[in-house]
Amino acid sequence: MEGLAMLRQLIGQLQELLEVYGSHPPLLPYPPDPPPHFLQPLHHPLPLSDLHSHQPQRWCFLNVDDGSTDDYYSLIMAAGKSGSFKMLEPYKPPPAKKSRKERTRGKSSGTTNTSEAMEQQIWKDFPEDLFEAVIARLPIATFFRFRSVCRKWNSLLNSQSFSQHCAQVPQGNPWFYTITHENVNSGAMYDPSLKKWHHPTISSLPSKMIVLPVASAGGLVCFLDIGHRNFYICNPLTQSFKELPARSVKVWSRVAVGMMLNGNSTCGGYKILWVGCDGEFEVYDSVKNSWTRPGNMPSIIKLPLSLNFRSQAVAIDGTLYFMRSDPEGIVSYDMVTGVWKQYIVPAPLHLTDPTLAECGGRIMLVGLLSKNAATCVCIWELQKMTLLWKEVDRMPNIWCLEFYGKHVRMTCLGNKGLLMLSLRSRQMNRLVTYNVSSREWLKVPGCVVPRGRKRQWIACGTAFHPCLTDIA
Amino acid sequence: MSSSKSNKIVKLESSDNKTFEVEEAVAVQSETLKNMVDDGCANDTIPLPNVNGKILEMVLGWCKKHVDETVTGDELNKYEADFLDLDQADLYGLLMAANFLNVKGLLDRVLQRVADMIKGKKPEEIRRIFNIKNDFTPEEEEEIRLENAWAFD
Repeated sequence: MEGLAMLRQLIGQLQELLEVYGSHPPLLPYPPDPPPHFLQPLHHPLPLSDLHSHQPQRWCFLNVDDGSTDDYYSLIMAAGKSGSFKMLEPYKPPPAKKSRKERTRGKSSGTTNTSEAMEQQIWKDFPEDLFEAVIARLPIATFFRFRSVCRKWNSLLNSQSFSQHCAQVPQGNPWFYTITHENVNSGAMYDPSLKKWHHPTISSLPSKMIVLPVASAGGLVCFLDIGHRNFYICNPLTQSFKELPARSVKVWSRVAVGMMLNGNSTCGGYKILWVGCDGEFEVYDSVKNSWTRPGNMPSIIKLPLSLNFRSQAVAIDGTLYFMRSDPEGIVSYDMVTGVWKQYIVPAPLHLTDPTLAECGGRIMLVGLLSKNAATCVCIWELQKMTLLWKEVDRMPNIWCLEFYGKHVRMTCLGNKGLLMLSLRSRQMNRLVTYNVSSREWLKVPGCVVPRGRKRQWIACGTAFHPCLTDIA
Repeated sequence: MSSSKSNKIVKLESSDNKTFEVEEAVAVQSETLKNMVDDGCANDTIPLPNVNGKILEMVLGWCKKHVDETVTGDELNKYEADFLDLDQADLYGLLMAANFLNVKGLLDRVLQRVADMIKGKKPEEIRRIFNIKNDFTPEEEEEIRLENAWAFD
């Protein structure tokens, strides 16, 4: 009888999986898998007609190791040159019942607490000076809704006292700022606490500019433009935006970027570090609003630095950690002492799409493990004594079954505590969140624009701690 | 570590003339009372004309619970959660008292409770409840609504 119960449970899980993700593949013919290096390098952008003849999702098959991820940029630049910033349409999955359910579910959960009618008789003399303290404790989306209550509530973002109240409220879950394939110049934001997607109508970033999020700290996100020329800092929730002064380096090769706050809040300012494969690096200090070159990379660090550009840098206690290969491992930079260190850490076998993350001071590795036709998302923790990766968790098996026999690519959004994983193969883009400390895997509802039905493909992004008053 | 003041009693009188006697360690959970004690003004009964007896008793109960070393973390959490199971009039009174007496932990909890009560409401309801005048023109209000429409999704 126990076996029967287990069988029932398995059938239930499979049914849920099919219902959520659609049961049949499309009837459109697909060209066979391309060889991995078919795209041209950066200086030969493909003419747009070529792009149309190829299957749009092909950029999923870019091989990170040979640097052809630069071709991601060539695709965007080609699209940009055609005058249209709209990306190519990916395949439309069959109508997803879940998206409507998700939206209704989202709405009702937001109103469960409002069944309490509040009597004006009691609350009409509510003291002015307590409003800010209450508003600072509202969910972020609610704050924006209540801006239309009155002029005072609309101008709280500029209020110093309101800023102080916000600083006193404990931080919850981070949000995720994502760039979708469909619309490269404005982000879609995901709130994991309410499992809701938000699509700001006014982008915080200037239009006609393609920038990608490369790092974040506190409520601020750092963007780098496609050509790796300029840095921009932005609070995705407000219009606060700043272009950083130009770097002193004139050659714009690909760089890895790390960002951290000075101290616990954004009030103390922040620092940004970029490092290139040739060992050149610079640090930006927001307090001084300038870049400095603190010195040279020590000779002990093997050059060229084959940096893993798809992995975000991790910040722990004033030190930034970057992932590299050849030799496989980590390089770290201590912002206070200015010292670079190198750690040789062999990569796990059959690993693809690795990325660093951290949780409570522990350095983690997230990546795909592919063996024969099976693919699984795995989590490793760095053993500091032995400098080896130790597997500590895996995505539930039943979810991994979906990837069986498919070529899967993964992008990890966020690098601390709560991560969003975007898993892509030819027909699908699955999104899950992973909480490193609670080891909880959760499905993320599809990203659908308001009044739309098509699920957006998540190209890349980062996590940030939503803060109304962080100023770039 | 015993303090020479540990047996000192603080006397309080509510707006409806009820008197309460509590140990100093309990009273100083309130920053307001702590300042009075530190300034040497707490030797006689302290009048609290803006806090009634019922509410003052609640606040002092909170303070007592928080200096009781026999209470576990879980018990305290449950106590704090149950504490706010009040009708609106009492909740409002508690908020005013916690603000005036500046009992930080209690004030945080009550403020969060109020935020939770209003978070699902529409702006028009907020104005009605708190008697806030809508000082936007209809055009301005519409503009702000559109700007922030993404949060309404």
